[in-house]
Amino acid sequence: MKKTEKAKAIAKKPSTGIVLGKGSRALRLSSPVMTASGTFGYGLEFSPYMKLEKLGAICVKGLSLRPREGNPPPRTVETPCGMLNAIGLQNVGVDVFIDSKLPKLRKYKTKVIANIFGETASEYAELAKRLDDAKGVHALEINISCPNVKKGGMAFGTDPKEAARVVRAVRAVTGKHVMTKLSPNVTDIRVMARAVEDAGSDSISLINTLTGMAIDINKRRPVLTTKIGGLSGPAIKPVALRMVWEAAGVVKIPVVGIGGIVTAEDAIEFLLAGASAVQVGTANFLTPNASEKVADGIAAYMKKHNIGSVRKLVGALN
Amino acid sequence: MKEAIIIENKALGADYFLISLKWALAPKVRPGQFVMLRVTGSMDPLLRRPFSVYNTDGDTVELLYKVVGKGTTILSSLNPGDDVDLLGPLGKGFSIPGGMLGKSRLLMVAGGVGIAPFYHLGRSIKDSDCDNLLIYGARTKRDTVVVKPFKDIGVKIKIATEDGSRGTKGLVTGLLESEMHCGDIVYACGPSLMLKAVAEMAEDKGVRCLVSLERAMACGIGVCLGCALRTVSHRPGRVLKDDRTYQMVCSDGPVFDSRDVDWDKI
Ligand SMILES: Cc1cc2nc3c(=O)[nH]c(=O)nc-3n(C[C@H](O)[C@H](O)[C@H](O)COP(=O)(O)OP(=O)(O)OC[C@H]3O[C@@H](n4cnc5c(N)ncnc54)[C@H](O)[C@@H]3O)c2cc1C
Ligand SMILES: Cc1cc2nc3c(=O)[nH]c(=O)nc-3n(C[C@H](O)[C@H](O)[C@H](O)COP(=O)(O)O)c2cc1C
Ligand code: FES
Repeated sequence: MKKTEKAKAIAKKPSTGIVLGKGSRALRLSSPVMTASGTFGYGLEFSPYMKLEKLGAICVKGLSLRPREGNPPPRTVETPCGMLNAIGLQNVGVDVFIDSKLPKLRKYKTKVIANIFGETASEYAELAKRLDDAKGVHALEINISCPNVKKGGMAFGTDPKEAARVVRAVRAVTGKHVMTKLSPNVTDIRVMARAVEDAGSDSISLINTLTGMAIDINKRRPVLTTKIGGLSGPAIKPVALRMVWEAAGVVKIPVVGIGGIVTAEDAIEFLLAGASAVQVGTANFLTPNASEKVADGIAAYMKKHNIGSVRKLVGALN
Repeated sequence: MKEAIIIENKALGADYFLISLKWALAPKVRPGQFVMLRVTGSMDPLLRRPFSVYNTDGDTVELLYKVVGKGTTILSSLNPGDDVDLLGPLGKGFSIPGGMLGKSRLLMVAGGVGIAPFYHLGRSIKDSDCDNLLIYGARTKRDTVVVKPFKDIGVKIKIATEDGSRGTKGLVTGLLESEMHCGDIVYACGPSLMLKAVAEMAEDKGVRCLVSLERAMACGIGVCLGCALRTVSHRPGRVLKDDRTYQMVCSDGPVFDSRDVDWDKI
């Protein structure tokens, strides 16, 4: 191939790269597709099923300062087109993650986002500090929205002042990209989005699970031991899409869309609604290479419609 | 995960079916492992369903299932030529504790559809001189759907039915009382209350016992942390390598040493 032809061929290949945020804290993704925290383990578990390099980033299971054992079973229950979970943030703790999981993850070209969870603002800050030195962690995702734990978590996610406090505490101690993950369990998502933007978040991701419930009519008891759990999967997609569209309308920082994404078409809906990137969650359980297929499908859509850069899709509603 | 094509989906009576599938990964399955099955493209039911592998033969895999709800009802309506999506083989399966093969009698205890993994296990020891006995408990004669296949591969079998319509009347534990002997190694699969009773009996008699457990599963590969089982890690004289309170049935099991299970929290 002659040089010019080669250049043309390269130019023709649509660019799926996207940059979230600015300056030294910019998060450069080779694909707008990431995997959602809690649905992809520490990433390594999926390497037999797909090419992790196809992903823009992997969000690892929520990390706390100390290991957490999680809630008593049953922890999951299927619902129409979705599932409820009450895992209770079982995790190995931030230190074990840094020492034993991260070195293996570093071998992959994919970016790694550490999802963090604390019971107080200072716990969040301590987590951010420990991860700030960790080589191979490219961004922090602040989980202020987990419905499955008694303290912290969602309390921070439903009160704009509390949310801002956590973001500021983390912002003060890290030079890394900070993404704040919003809870959908609020009256007006726009208020939360603006609050964390003002507090210095580099991007926002949404939605975490919607609180929900299932009852065993024979035992006359809630199925989950925690009674309430978090709803995820295709069932929540329309709600998630609406919230992403609302949030993207009021903030300048990039928005990452999450909720019920199974196919590339789902993901493209989120991009059009204003998301710069997406996360695939529950779909990883249905097909372990779901995220790879979503990434491939977006590239195919771009090629078919002659869209040179994925940026051109973001918020591109007519 | 790989597509599997249905070769046969045979009703055995009493809501039991034996499904044979052509599946490239069939030769990789070890006894006691399971697969996660999804009716291709289905969004409701959304999640895969776990099934033990009943048998493999070349690139054919067989599952024995009982229709209990949405997913299994749909499965029972599928025809030869239809495809389903299989993820697996998954889990650790049955292992014969070091040095016990040939020396101990393999005592298999099955309740209801818990019979499924034992055919594969039975076949795997067919050519060894390992003594064996299968105790098979079911509600009624109609529910004892797979007796002959076991006889055909030389597995000795004793049956207990709740109504006495076949074999001994009563539960498997009744039969076990006289059948479980020192030096046996017990493999049990069935309802959790049955497993608990078998585990207690094994402990009383000082017999090694492995149980295959069930839990609602979302992923089957150890990442959702949904299928948690409470384990006991610090019994006198016994410390697990890994002292997590919860283990995952899909990836750490589904077969566990009965002494590691916290039976009060089952
Ligand atoms: C490792 C493992 C191996 C299994 N092997 C077999 C097998 O070889 N053959 C077989 O028939 N079944 C097996 N099961 C059980 C099987 O997975 C369930 O029967 C099946 O998921 C039910 O799906 P459904 O959509 O028809 O029922 P649903 O509509 O989902 O549920 C119907 C009823 O079944 C109960 N149920 C659902 N899932 C389970 C479960 N995992 N365990 C116990 N009860 C459940 C529900 O609580 C409900 O009451 C196994 C389960 C596990 C975890
Ligand atoms: C089993 C399970 C565990 C989860 N764990 C976490 C977690 O640790 N931290 C977090 O921020 N979100 C967690 N989530 C939420 C997901 O990351 C995601 O926001 C949500 O499931 C919606 O996306 P989905 O519909 O694509 O699954 C979890 C979700 C599920 C289903
Ligand atoms: S089913 Fe997901 S961890 Fe076992």
